[in-house]
Amino acid sequence: MQVQHIMCPVCGGRIPIEHNDKVNRCEYCASPVLGSDQNRNCSRHPDRLAVEVCHVCNEMFCEEDIEYRVADYGGKLFTIVNCDKEYCVDESQWAKPLNREYQQLVNMDWADNIDNLILRVTGLGAVLMMIFELVFVLSMIYLQYFTTHSANLPMFFLPGDIVIVLSILGNLLSAILLQTALQVYIHERQLGSGIVLLIILVAEAAFLIGRGLYFNLLINPIPWLLPLLFGAFTFSVILVFIGSMMATAVGYKKHKQFRSARITLGLTAER
Amino acid sequence: MSEEAQTATIFDRPFGLRMIGLTQMTFGFLALVAFIGLVLAIVGGVPGVADLGPVYAVVLLIGVVIPCLVIGNYVDDLRRNAVVAQILYSLFSIAMAAIFLMYWGIGYEWAFPLYEISVQVAIGNLAVFIVVVEAFFALYLIVKWNEVAPPSDVYVERDRVIAKQIVTGIVPSPLTPSLISPDGETTLSDDDSRRIMDVRRVTTDEGMAVLCSNCGGATPLTKVEDDNTLVCDYCGVRLGVSSVFVPCENHPEYLAATNCDVCGEHFCRMCLTAQEPPVDKRWKGSIVHICQKCFEGRYRPAVTTTSLVLPIDQLFDKAGSRFSRVGGIYRKFLGKYSAVMRYVLEFTLRLAASVMKAGGKGNSNDGAAMVLIAVVVAVVAIPLAIGVVLLLGAIVIIPFLFYAGLVGVTIEAVKIISRTDFLSLSEAREKGIAVGAPAKTKESTLREDQRDWEYRGSRYAGERHVTETYFRRQN
Repeated sequence: MQVQHIMCPVCGGRIPIEHNDKVNRCEYCASPVLGSDQNRNCSRHPDRLAVEVCHVCNEMFCEEDIEYRVADYGGKLFTIVNCDKEYCVDESQWAKPLNREYQQLVNMDWADNIDNLILRVTGLGAVLMMIFELVFVLSMIYLQYFTTHSANLPMFFLPGDIVIVLSILGNLLSAILLQTALQVYIHERQLGSGIVLLIILVAEAAFLIGRGLYFNLLINPIPWLLPLLFGAFTFSVILVFIGSMMATAVGYKKHKQFRSARITLGLTAER
Repeated sequence: MSEEAQTATIFDRPFGLRMIGLTQMTFGFLALVAFIGLVLAIVGGVPGVADLGPVYAVVLLIGVVIPCLVIGNYVDDLRRNAVVAQILYSLFSIAMAAIFLMYWGIGYEWAFPLYEISVQVAIGNLAVFIVVVEAFFALYLIVKWNEVAPPSDVYVERDRVIAKQIVTGIVPSPLTPSLISPDGETTLSDDDSRRIMDVRRVTTDEGMAVLCSNCGGATPLTKVEDDNTLVCDYCGVRLGVSSVFVPCENHPEYLAATNCDVCGEHFCRMCLTAQEPPVDKRWKGSIVHICQKCFEGRYRPAVTTTSLVLPIDQLFDKAGSRFSRVGGIYRKFLGKYSAVMRYVLEFTLRLAASVMKAGGKGNSNDGAAMVLIAVVVAVVAIPLAIGVVLLLGAIVIIPFLFYAGLVGVTIEAVKIISRTDFLSLSEAREKGIAVGAPAKTKESTLREDQRDWEYRGSRYAGERHVTETYFRRQN
């Protein structure tokens, strides 16, 4: 039989039409498309429109005849669908049945708007803090090596050694802050990252103020530098603080929802 | 005036209009060069320009440089006001040149000093040239008025990328019906508009349309042929039809292209992105399709989640690899160097021997000793010096790399916050077509945790699975 090819509606790749009465899979993305003579209805209930394709037998089924399973790939979960035929169930044993009830109970669409706001507030604050640190490094290097006021800056062995080491430390702290700030968007981590964010923020603020005093920035010769740095720092801290408080509050609500779902479904010994 | 706003693109401008814009810009640029020369001459105290030089400079700047550059820049963008300005400026130029010719005649010449020489400029001829060219410009613009000055109710798309997409018909939106008319200006009849809107907005029996994977156009499902294929209304390719007739979760008007591999829900091409598949023989495709929520990893510890330590260790990894690369270069250099040195050493020893054999008198032995010392220097000092240079280079490069890495992390964070790091299948396709090559995809520094399966068995070995609750409890 001559194999014809057709364009995949998903990726634009080639699909060899090998089966007229079964779905054919794209050579590239494995998306299923209908065979040329294939009926669009459920294999078992011909009066119902099919909604899923069994990943084992490639036949189409309605909701009643299918089972969703999740497969674990190094800690990440992918979903597959199989029909209830014995062979297909056996072939899908490597994946575990999906807990639909749990999914429904932990649905958190209610928090979408507030989460978007939290992500932007904490993220913006953390990005500004990062930019502050990046500008701070350049400013200090400029002060140290390109002006006559380097005497104000401390040193251990060589001019600029402490400046560079403490600037790198500040950058690391702000990178950690940024990472944590982005995690407030993940439901299960929101509460934890909100609290961690507060702790890191306090550490970062203390470090930055201490470093500024140690670098004698109060007597630095450029009049606009200190107000600029302090203004940017204060604004970032306020944003991250507000964001972390909101994340903690919303995260706690979600934490209760998760806990309640586990208790309801008997997934935990807690009561 | 038609009720529907009409649309044209930058590619609809006539060739003549483009040439007028370029010519005016050239005039402006030449006048700018002349202006700068004049100013330098005035500042340099060149005799002969001190008196009227500043006046000429101001006249040149206000009368030629600014109008030519500004009008020339805008006139070929199909801007009505710029075309009017160009006509007025052409008439003004003709008038000025004509007055000049009346007073000084066609044979008038200027001699202006240039360093040690004097340059003759036939200003009279230049005035005639300006009259002819500007008259041609004005005439052309007036005659071609309908083509060069779109009416105020016509929207002109000047962004070249979008314009190209519109011209090639690969963008299903904007949805203004007249946009899809053949010339972008013709007012379509109500029936035609409705028909096009039906295709775009989809009001079919099944209530769904298929988004073409080639051009992105939407073709109603009613056009599915008996063999379960569909010819795209826009680009004419023959598409297979997705196996299940389920609408997209986010766009019920479109047929879902396929499932999100993480959550299993159905989505169209606008709501899915593609990622590399896990390294696992159980996975059949070469792509993992992921919806926006799963891409963000909000619900499950699914494909993409961020990590506390990721950018930091990554930066140090990069720095470390840079160090080892420098070491590798040095090792390779030493290998090649020693291979060459073998011959150098052999040659030098022979040379030294021949020097020593040359006779027992004078300083011939000293010469041999010098040759040997030179060899030792070449063998030891050169690799040592190059090693030091490479090491210093690495020490300088690494802070730069670190800083650049942090800047990269910040940019990635901004993308995540603005939610622009999600590149859908249709966006990738459109970008690929717009630039004539497949869209470049770069793994996000902050979302690289998605490829966790590469660390299987190391990071998660022996740990209790954090996602157990997503599995149905087995007894």
